[in-house]
Amino acid sequence: MDTLNELLNGFAAALTWQNLIFAFLGCLLGTVIGVLPGIGPVAGVALLIPLTLNMDPTGSIIMLCAIFYGTAYGGTITSVLLNTPGEAASAITTIDGHAMTKMGKAGAALTIAAIGSFVGGTIATLGLVAAAKPLGELGLLVGPPEFFALMVVGISLLVALAGKSMVKALISGALGLLISMVGIDPVAGAPRFTFGMDRLLDGVSFVAVIVGVFGLSEILSYRKGESTVVHAPGFRSLLPTRNEWRRSAPSMARGTGIGFGLGLIPGMTGSVASLLSYGAEKKFSKHRNELGKGAVEGVAGPETANNAHANAALIPLFTLGIPASPTIAVLMGAFLQQGLTPGPTLFTEHSEIAWAIIASLFIGNLLLVLLNVPLVGLWTSILRVPAPILTALILLFMVIGAYTINFSVFDVFVMIGFGLLGLALRHLEIPLAPMVLTLVLGPLMERSLRESLEISQGDFSIFLNRPISAVLIALGLLIICSPLLKLRKPKALTDDPET
Amino acid sequence: MTQSPTRARPARSVLAGIAAVGALGAYVLVSSVGLGLWTSLGPGPGLFPFAMGAVLAAMSVLWLLQELKRPSTTGEGADGGLVLAVVVSLVLLAALLDLLGFQLSMFLFLMYHLKIRGKRGWLSALLTALAGSVGAFYAFNYGLNVALPVSSIPVLNLIGL
Repeated sequence: MDTLNELLNGFAAALTWQNLIFAFLGCLLGTVIGVLPGIGPVAGVALLIPLTLNMDPTGSIIMLCAIFYGTAYGGTITSVLLNTPGEAASAITTIDGHAMTKMGKAGAALTIAAIGSFVGGTIATLGLVAAAKPLGELGLLVGPPEFFALMVVGISLLVALAGKSMVKALISGALGLLISMVGIDPVAGAPRFTFGMDRLLDGVSFVAVIVGVFGLSEILSYRKGESTVVHAPGFRSLLPTRNEWRRSAPSMARGTGIGFGLGLIPGMTGSVASLLSYGAEKKFSKHRNELGKGAVEGVAGPETANNAHANAALIPLFTLGIPASPTIAVLMGAFLQQGLTPGPTLFTEHSEIAWAIIASLFIGNLLLVLLNVPLVGLWTSILRVPAPILTALILLFMVIGAYTINFSVFDVFVMIGFGLLGLALRHLEIPLAPMVLTLVLGPLMERSLRESLEISQGDFSIFLNRPISAVLIALGLLIICSPLLKLRKPKALTDDPET
Repeated sequence: MTQSPTRARPARSVLAGIAAVGALGAYVLVSSVGLGLWTSLGPGPGLFPFAMGAVLAAMSVLWLLQELKRPSTTGEGADGGLVLAVVVSLVLLAALLDLLGFQLSMFLFLMYHLKIRGKRGWLSALLTALAGSVGAFYAFNYGLNVALPVSSIPVLNLIGL
């Protein structure tokens, strides 16, 4: 009953008109980011963080969460209509989604995808509600050593996000940690890597770095593409037939299971969830022979899995403070900017905010369906905006975003510098995901390590004498050593476009 | 720009990347020793950076060995003209932001990207640039309570720029 009461209080807080507007705006902006090819969810969420810095913490996180799962649906629209995934997790939807468009069933495909996203997202959020209380109670048992051990597990995910080369992933991770160490050291108060510049004493702005590395470098690496003509489906064609509904239901159920399960495992991105869901459809669907030729199962399964994943991935973030994917790491950065530390202590220290955000996830998932299906014409019209206008407007947002963090031109220069760094890393095929992970987790890890060792007066056995931290450190080491133990990654993980 | 896998030599840009990572690692290693690696209370401010410097230095060596054995491919080369145009215009914009104020400097920035680079029509370019500069200024200042900079030149400041 306690959980239900807390959730109801959360709904009361989330249903204020301001928070509803924030959720609505978040869904809207998230969908736009998802629709625009080239601006991925990581850059998109980072780009919009500055807009939310002046809001209260609840409203700001509600909006950023809505942006986060809005991108998951927005990417579908271009996959279905244009055969171009707006973001990596929707890539597999192009196969059957676009085939359905060619058959004149684009509207049905988009509606099924929206309903699937709603089902997957809502069930995954129910999972978050169920997990929040028991895992949140762990918060009372968490001191600096346990927190450090959680961060070890978080950083160990670098192995899962490594992509093809472990060497390059470690370079990216080390760079992220070094960037996060610029400024006054959190324990001793000594300046590090400030090169005598007062402006660097507070460190390099996280938002400017992320917007530069992920957003600006993406624009800098644009290549001239062909322009495409998009036709939005008419309103009448949006309704799937009864047969299509019947065929989608089992796929949605499988997609929910796969997306939810993978969302709980840090390091598994939405792309892996949708790829594995497509694989499951190929194996278990009654109409598996039609897959690839415009089968509705090929849309329903992956799209449900994708959104179930997006929402389930919030569970490790909210309850353990472990970001499961690069986008969630950026979201975690936004939490930290608002003075909220995601993890076990969130439910003890900021319980009201945490439950309001969870309630808003339900509302946001509903808004997404109500918003996206009827407005599909509007989303496709964004794609008709000429590229120079889009580029100029995105640059405008980046400059405003970087400037308004500290109301200083310095951060704009920081963004430009990191844009060039991001471009170089892309060219050298050094993955960007490990960098964002260590950028967010590094300072927390360092502080908790040093605080723990101050408690134990330099004795490292403090991490092994406490059962929770000992188990977590063992888990982290197991993940780090898994490549040596030949615990091979599934192919979907190695080929994951998000890493 | 894509390196053919049959060529035995690593691409020049890859070698430059390896050198940069190695040099950064060496610099961090040396400077973190000066910060203090260990204090009576445990790790000092230099310990974490020292470890990262060691990782960077070691990885640059491993990467070089990998490249010498089997040269890797590099990502597609960027459009040099685009990179130059965007970066130089952004640097100029940032340099002029406090002097000319947000509205004027952003208007010029957007006009450059829309009219000169994007070859849009005058009307479309003017309207978009005005919305993105004057419109954004008022929306942020009065709508979101986020103050964007005004010009430090008195004459421009007087006329509201």
